[in-house]
Amino acid sequence: MKILLAEDEVDLSRALVAILSHNGYEVTAVYDGEAAVEEAKSKAFDCMVFDIMMPKKDGIQALTEIRAGGDNTPALFLTAKAEMDDKILGLNAGADDYLTKPFAMQELLARLRSLMRRSNAYHSDQITVGNLVLNTSEQELKSQNAVRLAGPETKLMEILMRNPNKEFTTEELFEKVWKDEQENKDIVWVYISYLRTKLVAVSADLEIIGEEKKSFCLRLK
Amino acid sequence: MEESIYGTYKESMEKIMQTLVEELEKKNNLIFQETGEKGYEHITARLKSDQSMRKKLLSKKLPIDTYHALRSLRDSIGLRIICSFRDDVYNMVDELKQMPEVEVIEEKDYIKKAKENGYRSYHMILEMTVPYEDVDGNLPGKYYVEIQLRTIAMDTWAELEHKIRYKKDVANREVIASELKRCADELASCDLSMQTIRDLIR
Repeated sequence: MKILLAEDEVDLSRALVAILSHNGYEVTAVYDGEAAVEEAKSKAFDCMVFDIMMPKKDGIQALTEIRAGGDNTPALFLTAKAEMDDKILGLNAGADDYLTKPFAMQELLARLRSLMRRSNAYHSDQITVGNLVLNTSEQELKSQNAVRLAGPETKLMEILMRNPNKEFTTEELFEKVWKDEQENKDIVWVYISYLRTKLVAVSADLEIIGEEKKSFCLRLK
Repeated sequence: MEESIYGTYKESMEKIMQTLVEELEKKNNLIFQETGEKGYEHITARLKSDQSMRKKLLSKKLPIDTYHALRSLRDSIGLRIICSFRDDVYNMVDELKQMPEVEVIEEKDYIKKAKENGYRSYHMILEMTVPYEDVDGNLPGKYYVEIQLRTIAMDTWAELEHKIRYKKDVANREVIASELKRCADELASCDLSMQTIRDLIR
């Protein structure tokens, strides 16, 4: 699981990175709001933890911008401010939860687990990127033409469409789609190949770039 | 017995159809020798029946005579070429275009852009130059041939849909239509997966 942490207090950031890593999370730490927006645009995370008071852009501005780009990754605000207004502002900006400093590490970990568990429920079942629409409940991939995808194809396409222009390694995709199944990692390339053929067949203006066993990324042609 | 709508041209039309099928069979053998795989699975050919031709002329408000059957309508001679894989369809389209004495008058790619109901097929109207007199009195003459190309999966769908479509008194017409469309899109998806698998193991 990947977490984007934006916290400008270096000591607190260092402590959070240590504890989150120790609990099995892969943490990307940035120290201002602008860097948070950049990271969120180029990589896919399972959760975002933002401070509110930060240089360049504050946490609320950063999250507003990230949400405006269609990114629904669960987000939690860590804030020194306990005022009601900030909590409301943060939640309205698209945060899913908040914690007021000082907080107990165990509570942060529990809230993160809870957020990631529920993250699928936040998603609408229709995703649009470029001229392409994926309806995840109907498993329909539609542009000029339409096809109905198989289960794993839908999951894989959903991950790519929720994160356009972001790279995923073969291992990451395998973990996300085939986690509990008796398959080996070669299946990723087969399904990437299916989706490539189908993107062409529906005349989508998108393509999946990347080579066998390496990283893949969905982008506009 | 009532005279054929095709008049004295019926015999030539049968010969044209037969010759074209034979030419394609030769081509298929050549492709098999070269690649070890057939260019297509099978062909069905037919002259549009008198009854359907008269009905179609009537519905288009055209005079019911031989001239209009052969000139205003262009599907009196029809061939359906059924292929295993999607790419085979496009290869056969290219083969047809390269045939001598064939001019492509019209092409419609309902594979790239399926019809609203999910129907997929590649349609072509050919104008063939043949050593028989045509309805305008030309020799060599010119006859139209309609070709439909599609995969086995597309053909399966079209055949089954055809059987269901004309059933009367269907209660949930809209549900049935959208379910048939869904079946077409699922079959198309399988076709694409099979094509991809073939490409991956080649």
